[in-house]
Amino acid sequence: MKTWQELAMATAVGLVLGGAALAEGIYTPNLAYRTGPFAATGTPIMDGQKDYMALLNARDGGIGGVAINFEECETGYSTEKGVECYERTKADAVVTQPWSTGITLQVLPKTNVDKIPILAPGYGFSPMSDGAVFQWAFNPPASYWDGASMILNEISGGDPASLKGKKIVLLHLDHPFGKEPIPLLETMAKEYGFDLVLVPVGLKEMQNQSAQWLQIRRERPDFVIMWGWGAMNAAAINEAVKTKYPMDQFVGVWWAGHDADLKQVGEAGKGYRSISWSMPQPDAPIMADLKQYVYDKGNSTAEDPDSVFYQRGLVISMMLAEGIRTAQQHFDVGEITPEQLRWGLENLDISDERLAELGMTGMVPPFKTSCDNHTGHSGGWMLEWDGTRFVQSSDLLQADASFIRPLEVKAAEEYAAENQPWPINEDCK
Amino acid sequence: MLYRTAGQYKTTYRADQGLFPIKQDAFLLGLILVFAWVVFPFTATEFTFQTLLTPILIYSLAALGLNILTGYAGQLSLGTGAFMGVGAYACYKLVTLMPWMNPIIAILLSGVFSAGVGVAFGIPSLRIKGFYLAIATLAAQFFLVWLFEKWSWLYNDNASGAIQVPNLEIFGIYVSGPQAASVTQYYLVLAIVTLLTWVTINLTRGNLGRTWKATRDMDIAAELIGINLMRSKLTAFAISSYIVGVSGALFVFMWRGAAEPNLFDIPLSFRVLFIAIIGGLGSILGNYLGAILIVGLPVLLGTLPSALGIQVESALIEHLNTMIVGSLIIFFLIIEPHGLAQLWRLIREKLIIWPFPH
Repeated sequence: MKTWQELAMATAVGLVLGGAALAEGIYTPNLAYRTGPFAATGTPIMDGQKDYMALLNARDGGIGGVAINFEECETGYSTEKGVECYERTKADAVVTQPWSTGITLQVLPKTNVDKIPILAPGYGFSPMSDGAVFQWAFNPPASYWDGASMILNEISGGDPASLKGKKIVLLHLDHPFGKEPIPLLETMAKEYGFDLVLVPVGLKEMQNQSAQWLQIRRERPDFVIMWGWGAMNAAAINEAVKTKYPMDQFVGVWWAGHDADLKQVGEAGKGYRSISWSMPQPDAPIMADLKQYVYDKGNSTAEDPDSVFYQRGLVISMMLAEGIRTAQQHFDVGEITPEQLRWGLENLDISDERLAELGMTGMVPPFKTSCDNHTGHSGGWMLEWDGTRFVQSSDLLQADASFIRPLEVKAAEEYAAENQPWPINEDCK
Repeated sequence: MLYRTAGQYKTTYRADQGLFPIKQDAFLLGLILVFAWVVFPFTATEFTFQTLLTPILIYSLAALGLNILTGYAGQLSLGTGAFMGVGAYACYKLVTLMPWMNPIIAILLSGVFSAGVGVAFGIPSLRIKGFYLAIATLAAQFFLVWLFEKWSWLYNDNASGAIQVPNLEIFGIYVSGPQAASVTQYYLVLAIVTLLTWVTINLTRGNLGRTWKATRDMDIAAELIGINLMRSKLTAFAISSYIVGVSGALFVFMWRGAAEPNLFDIPLSFRVLFIAIIGGLGSILGNYLGAILIVGLPVLLGTLPSALGIQVESALIEHLNTMIVGSLIIFFLIIEPHGLAQLWRLIREKLIIWPFPH
């Protein structure tokens, strides 16, 4: 029972800690995962996010003269650790960056109570775009449904009706993340008359997909769309190479476009495409600044600053930083509150001019968020593996809003109904 | 000194067999209860509730359920996580199909479903033992998690395949869902855990408990002295799964707020098994000690560097944490293979005879 007394003491310590997170500057914690099964894909993104904030602090003294206290809380992609991190950081945080669909699902219903905005760029729940219902959640610049629609637009050559009678396999992780595109793809399959075959990959089978690829070989699909993450992508690309599936018919979501996964197959992966709302620009002015202020001072752990994922990390932190800046200018304060940041994220205006000012031209398509559009629906580019790196292979693609918007509204309504009482921002409608 | 037994005379057999043969034990337990019921709720922060108090209680309860089966009745089970899942999904279906139902009743009822499933998967235990039975429960584990994934009725055809806890209230106070206050949920968990612990203590000390222990120690001998093995094993499966199921419902409804099927996969089963083993098989106290070590300690270690004002990379803390907790587990198992509960038993014995060791 000694341990009980220790617990009591420890709880007392915990009490002090709970409120004593460093309170200098604007506290923007990141629920990072540099350990665990998804570390390989997580680390470059986390590096990008961290380096961008480090650059702002070193070059401009933060945002609007206020330093950014960017801190990581390690989750290892585990929901349990994520919740622990959320509870640990929420007292001072202006934002939550949950970084896993599981953690997002848990934190999302609490947002109305805790009043801290969630920033989940390019992931999370697609209906979060409906800002009237999900007042505190943001997933700029594109949602999974946008991604699925853009992929269909590209593989059909701009006319999804031409997919009629074709067979498309969705190879997806059997997990909330992997199931995200299914409602949209099913609706589109009905509308355009293509045949959608779902091939789930269980979390335990991620590294051994021979059964799934056997099924794909049997089905002889015209296209395989992959909704994968972590070890699943590398294994799928390997299997595709092994079974000689034509790479130009194999398209992944943006999280399935990790350089390291394709480097291991090299030339054999040529033609593999991945939709992306970000694009690496090694010659962008910001990269020179990063070199001067961050890399050369030895403050970065980044291994490959030209990779897709690292530069996507930069874009993600840029969106947060712009949200903070917008809020600061509107409310005319330095140290903003979570409520003010919510306004800032809701009124983001990432225009071409602004991107040029930031030295990030071409790293992300321009977009705007608003009260009823928390995603921005920027569109994206198709990136193609040329054997050594990802290169742009399409012009800016746009998602088919006429399909996505009604689905978003319906799903958001259902969510609100299931979670009564759920406040809805009536000013938005 | 602290544990001096001088002057505590027992004049009847009944008194000698009491739950607290030594007054100090009762006093200690009272102190713990005061802490749990009064001191913690009034002093703890949101963080302490969400990462220490509530999860430790829920994991202790799950380990308690497993301990009945493995520690008292000697039937090794690797399916605890899945049985917790049955409780959680049953509770979810109950409250969504019958929204008028009192959430506490729903939680207590959901254990009945997992008890049923537990008995069904416990039937092979009549024929197979030891590792072979462990494999049979492993089959339950895989099958049930697969079922949680594929049977979309269980999660009301939600597109993401996850269950999300609705806001539920009792007498106008929210007890689950995002609107519920942590302290309300803590009290509810504490009440259920206290109640079930009290029931378990009595069960294991009574006739049924002795039957289980006889089955565990030597089933042939037990059968020879007239114990019905089928009854003994199946009641152990039923009661164990009931408690595990309730803990699963609490796990999702009072703490996590949402759950996807793979949450109930093998890692959870192993975690609960480790708590039971490190705490001490065949003990009630051990479950709490084990949960504090396995669930609570990593959280405390994680807060240590920032409390001491040391700047360390968050990932490094995580690695150190794994290493420290891992070596502590090995350390405790080397100094006392029978678990933390046995360690406490020895300490207590030494305190009683102090300062004159044999």
